[in-house]
Amino acid sequence: MMAILKRELKSYFLTPMGYIYMGFFLLVAGVFFTFGNLITRSSQYTGFLGGILFIYLFAVPLLTMRLFSEEKRQRTDQLLLTSPISIPEVVLGKFLAAFTVYLITLAITVMYAIVVGVYGDLSFWETLGAYIGFIFLGASYISVGVFVSAGTENQLTSALVSFFSLLMIWLIDPISNSLPVDLVAGIIFASLLVIALCAYIYINTKNFYITVAVFLLGAIVITAAYFIDKVVFIGFMRKFFSWFSLNKRYENFSMGLLKVDSLVYYLTFTGLFLFLTVRLMEKQRWV
Amino acid sequence: MIEAKDLVKRYGPHTAVDHATFKIERGEIVGFLGPNGAGKTTTMNMLTGYLSSTEGTVTVDGMNILEHPLEVKRRIGYLPENPPLYPEMTVREYLQFAGEIKKVPKQELSKRIDEVMWKVGITDVMGRLVKNLSKGYKQRVGLAQAMIGKPDILILDEPTAGLDPKQILEIRQLIKELGKTHTVILSSHILPEVSAVCKRILIINQGKIVADDTPENLAKRLLGGSHLLLRIDGTPQQVEATLQKVPDVKKLSFKESQERGTVEVVVESDKDKDIRRDISKALGSAGLPILMMRSLDMTLEEIFLHLTTKEEEVAKV
Repeated sequence: MMAILKRELKSYFLTPMGYIYMGFFLLVAGVFFTFGNLITRSSQYTGFLGGILFIYLFAVPLLTMRLFSEEKRQRTDQLLLTSPISIPEVVLGKFLAAFTVYLITLAITVMYAIVVGVYGDLSFWETLGAYIGFIFLGASYISVGVFVSAGTENQLTSALVSFFSLLMIWLIDPISNSLPVDLVAGIIFASLLVIALCAYIYINTKNFYITVAVFLLGAIVITAAYFIDKVVFIGFMRKFFSWFSLNKRYENFSMGLLKVDSLVYYLTFTGLFLFLTVRLMEKQRWV
Repeated sequence: MIEAKDLVKRYGPHTAVDHATFKIERGEIVGFLGPNGAGKTTTMNMLTGYLSSTEGTVTVDGMNILEHPLEVKRRIGYLPENPPLYPEMTVREYLQFAGEIKKVPKQELSKRIDEVMWKVGITDVMGRLVKNLSKGYKQRVGLAQAMIGKPDILILDEPTAGLDPKQILEIRQLIKELGKTHTVILSSHILPEVSAVCKRILIINQGKIVADDTPENLAKRLLGGSHLLLRIDGTPQQVEATLQKVPDVKKLSFKESQERGTVEVVVESDKDKDIRRDISKALGSAGLPILMMRSLDMTLEEIFLHLTTKEEEVAKV
C-alpha cells in the first residue's frame, strides 16, 4: 500500500495534475478570501470556509479523475493486478494519495485564518470545527471520485461523472425538502426500493428463488412496520435521501459542534464508497 | 508447475477461450502460437490472474490462483502485450515501484534493480523518462519489470511485437538466456519466432488448443509418417518394382517430373524409420541413379496453416 501511495503522490507532481488542482483551488480560495474578507474587512472566517465547500465541487473531480482511469488507459492496471498486492491495498493507497494532496492544499488555507486571527477577530473553535469537518467531508468527496474513476477509462468522463455525482449530493437537500412526506408516499417508496433491490439481485445472480425470497422478506418487513409503527414511513423518502447529503452534517462543524454521529457518518460513507470501488474492480475481472 | 484445467472465458455469447487444458513443467520454454484473436492473450491474462476464468482452474505449484492469489502472483512475472509503464517516471523510479509492489525486500531492492537492468541492457537509460524511450527499450523495461520479483515463471505476451529485426534477435537471445533459469511461456503469431525459441508449442485457434508438441513432432505427426521425395533416372515400372522390395515402404505415389526421362515419386514410410539408406542401396544396385532426395516433412508454416485453416477454405484456394 505504501508503494502505491508513494507512487501516486509522486505522480501528482510529475504530471501537471497536482499543480492544476492546487493552483485552481488556491486561486479561487484566494479570490474568495480577498473579496470576502480582506477588502470588506470582515472577520467572518466561517463564511469563507462555506465558500470553499463550493470550490471542492469542481476541484475534487480534478484530484480523483486520473486515479484509476489513467491506469486502465495505459494498461498499467495489468501490472497492479498481476502483482502480489491486494485490490483493497491498491484502492486505499490511491485514496490516501489523493487525500494527502487534499490535506496539504487545505493546510495552506490555514494561513488565511492566521491573517484573520492577527488582524481581526477569529472565532477559534468554530474555525477549528470547520477544519475538522473539512477533513472528513473531503474524505467522503474523494471516495466518490475514486469510485467513479474506477468505473471509467477516460479522465474527462471520470471528472464529469464525479462532478455530476457530487452536484447531486449537493442538491439532495433542496430536492428532498420538496419530496412528499405522507404515509402512502413512504410506503410506495419503500416498495420501490425493495423492487429495485430484487431487480439488482436478479440481474447479478440470475437466481429466481433468491429474488423471490428477498421480495417476500421485503414485503413482510414493510407490512410488519406498517402495523407496528406507521410513523417510520412518514418522511421516509426524505430521510432516505438525506442520508446521502454530505453537506448538511458539515453545518454542525462550522458552528463549532463536534458531533460523534457525524464523524461516524462520514467515515461510514467513505468506507462504503471505497468498498464499492474494491467490488467494482473485482467485478471488472469477471466480465 | 503451472497447470490449466478446462479453462473457459466467455464474453457474452462469444467464447474467447474454450476448454483449454495444459500442464507446463519447470524449466520449459513454451510458445503459444495462433492467429490474432485466437485467445492467446486471454489465456495469459487468466494464467496471471488479471482476468478470472468463466470456468476451469489455474494452479501454480499446486495452488489455485483464486484461493491463493498473492502466493501465485509472487511466482509469476508478466509482460503484457503493451508493457505496463508509467510514462512520467524514470526507468529506475519505475523499477523501484515495480520491485516494491512485487514485495522485493527493501535492503535487496537496489541491488536487484541494478541486476535486472544489466541483464536486459537498460543500465544506460536508467535516468531517462519512460515516455522518451524507443519501443525496443520500453519492451526491455517491461521485461525488467517482469523479472524483478525473481519469479519462477515468466509469461511474455508477444514480446517482440513492434520491434525492428535487430531488436527482435536481441530479445529472442535474452529469452533463451532466461529460459535457462525460468519457466517461460511466450505467445506469438509469428512462427519462426516460436520455433527459434521454444521447445514446445501449443497451437491455439478460435480459443481451442489444437496441437501441443515439440516443433519436430508436430511436423511428423501431421504427415502421419515420414515422406521422401525422389527423382530417379528410369521408368515408373522399374522404380516401382525396385522400391516395393525395400522394407518399411508403405506407399508410393508417382508425380509428373519436370525432367525428361526421369520419375518423381513420394515414398511414405513408418514414422520413426529412416529408410533413406535402404532406398539408395536398392536403387543403386538396380542401376537407377537417384538425382534428388528430399524430406517432405512440413515446415511449421504449413502445419500452422493446416491446423488453423478449415478444409473448405483451403479447397476454395
